Amino acid sequence: MAHTFGELVVGGVLVAPFVTYLVATLVVLIVLRPLLNVAGFAKMFSHPAIAQLSLFVTMLCLLMLMF
Amino acid sequence: MSGIPISSWTFAVRVWLATVLALFASFWLQLEAPFTAAVTVAILAEPTRGQALDKAAFRLTGTVVGVTASIAIAGLFSQARDLMLAASAVWLGVCVFAAKLLDGYRAYAAVLTGYTVANIAIQQIDHPQNVFDASVERGAAIAVGIISIAIVNVLMSAPDRHSRLAAQLAAIHRRIREYACATLRGESDDRTTFPALVQDIVGLRPDVAIVALESSSGSVGSAAARSAVVSLVAELQAARSLSAGCADVETEDYSPKMRELLRRDDNVRQDLSALRSVRWPTRLQRAPLYRSYRIAADTAVRAALWFGLASVLFVWAGWSAASASLYLVAAVAALGVTTPNPRGYSTIALVGAPIAVVLAGILEFIVLDGADAFPVLAIALAPFTIGAALLVPSQDPVWSGLGRINLIAIPTILAPSNPQTYDPQAFLFTSLFIVAAAAVLLAAQMLIPPVSDEKQRTQLLAEARDELRVDNRTGETLEEAMFRDASRIGQFLCAGGAHDSHGLAELLSCFDQSATVRRFNAKPTQLVNDPSREAT
Repeated sequence: MAHTFGELVVGGVLVAPFVTYLVATLVVLIVLRPLLNVAGFAKMFSHPAIAQLSLFVTMLCLLMLMF
Repeated sequence: MSGIPISSWTFAVRVWLATVLALFASFWLQLEAPFTAAVTVAILAEPTRGQALDKAAFRLTGTVVGVTASIAIAGLFSQARDLMLAASAVWLGVCVFAAKLLDGYRAYAAVLTGYTVANIAIQQIDHPQNVFDASVERGAAIAVGIISIAIVNVLMSAPDRHSRLAAQLAAIHRRIREYACATLRGESDDRTTFPALVQDIVGLRPDVAIVALESSSGSVGSAAARSAVVSLVAELQAARSLSAGCADVETEDYSPKMRELLRRDDNVRQDLSALRSVRWPTRLQRAPLYRSYRIAADTAVRAALWFGLASVLFVWAGWSAASASLYLVAAVAALGVTTPNPRGYSTIALVGAPIAVVLAGILEFIVLDGADAFPVLAIALAPFTIGAALLVPSQDPVWSGLGRINLIAIPTILAPSNPQTYDPQAFLFTSLFIVAAAAVLLAAQMLIPPVSDEKQRTQLLAEARDELRVDNRTGETLEEAMFRDASRIGQFLCAGGAHDSHGLAELLSCFDQSATVRRFNAKPTQLVNDPSREAT
C-alpha cells in the first residue's frame, strides 16, 4: 500500500510534505539542543558538526517513516 | 599564489563545491531560477561555519518578511506604477533605518528585507499576478542554496568561529594587561592604544551571536563570549582610570582603583575560561549596542531618495527591462549603508561590474560556448568561482569587495538554465543593466551625498554630551552601560574618528565621566542592599 502524506494547506496553498518534515525536524532539534548540551553531545565526537548533521538526517528519516 | 594562505584555498574550493551542488539540486528540482541558488551560495560564502549559518538564518528571515511586504505592496498598488515605486522607496528607507540600528548579519537581514521588494514586486511590475509564484521560486532557490553550503561546510570541516573567537578575546585580554602595565609605568599612549582596543572589542560583538548556531552547546559559548566582551570593556576602563592617578603611586585613591582593576581582570579570566571549556558564565550579561536614531533616520531618507532618483531616471528612459537595474540599485544602495563608506561601496560595484561582465562573457561564449552537459558547467565554473572566492577573505576591503561582487555577478550574468540559451542579446542587456545600475546609483550618491563622517561624529558627540546631562537609567548594569558607551566610541572611530583628535578626546572624556557617574549612582544601592553593612 502506498504511503499517504498528511497534507498541510495554509490559506489555500499546499505545502510540500518534505518541507513540513524538514521544519518539524528543525523544531525537534531546537527543542533537543539544551538536552544535547547537558549530555555533552558536542564533546563525544571528533567532528561534532558531522555528528549533528547525521542526527538531523536520522531524525528526518524517522519522522518520514513514522508519520 | 604562494602568498595566499591555505585556509583561503580550502574556503574557495568549498564555495565552488557548494555552488555546483546548489546548481545541480536546482536543476534536479526543476526550479525556475537556478542562479538564485548559486547567488545565495556566493552571498553566504563566509570563512567559518557559524558565520555562514547565521547569515543563512537571517537571509531566510529577511526574505520571508520581504516577500510578505512585496505581496502587500503589489496588492495595494498593482495598477499604479509610480505609487508602487514610491512605496518601494519608502519601504527601503524604513529597512535601512532598521539596519542602521542593528549590526552584523541583523543589519544585513534588514536591508535584504528592503531590497527583496525591489526584486519581487518591481521585477513583476507588469505582471502583479506572478508575485506569489516568483516569491515561492525565490524562496525555494534560497533554501537550496542554504542547504548546499551548510552541507558542504559540515562535510569539508569548515573552521568553527568558537575557537578563533576565544583566541581573539584572549589576545585582547593580553593587550589590555600590557596597556594596564604601561599605564602604571606612565608610558601608555591613551590616544591610540585605548581607542584601538575599544574598536577591537566592540568589533567582535556580531561574532558573539554567531557562535550560538555552531553546535548544540553554541548558546552556552555565546553567553560566555558575550560576558567576556562586556567584562573586557570594564577592565579596559578600569585600566584607563589608573592613568589619572598613576603620576603618584602613593596617592590616596590609587589603591581602590588597583583593586577594581584586579577584580575586573579576574572576571575576564573566569569568562574566558567558561568560553574555552563551554560552561555557562558566572554572570549573564547583555552587550547592548549604541543606537543613534538621528543618524539612522538621515541615512534612511538618503537611501530612499537614491532609489527614488534612480526610479525616475529609469522610468524616463522607458526601457522595459530596467526593473532589473532598479533591483541592483536597491541592493547596492542598501548593502552600502551597512558599510562605513556607502559611496566607496558603489564605486567598488562600478569597477567590479565590468570585470564580472568580461569574465562572465569569457565563461559563456569562449569556455562553455554551447556546451549543455552539467559536468562541463561545473568544471568551467571552477576557475571563476575559486578565483573570486580567493579574494573574499582578503583584509583589504577593495579586494574583498571585488571578489564578492564577481562571485555574485558571474552566476547572475551567466544565469545557468536548462537548456542554456547562449543568447548574446540577453547577455548584452543583463551586462548593460548591471553596469548602468552601479553608474546611476553612484550619480545619485554624488547628487545626494551619504551622511558625512564629520556629521556623524558631531551627532555622536552631541548625543554623548546630552546623555551626561540626563540621567536615563534603562535597567542596564554598570558594565552593560559601559559597553554601550564603548560601542558609540567604535561607531565614532568607524566614521574616521581616529583623525579627529579633539572630538575623540572629548568623547573619551564623556566615556570616563559617565562611567564615574554610574559608579557613584550604583554605590548607594550597594550600601543599602549589603546586609553585612546593615549588621555593623
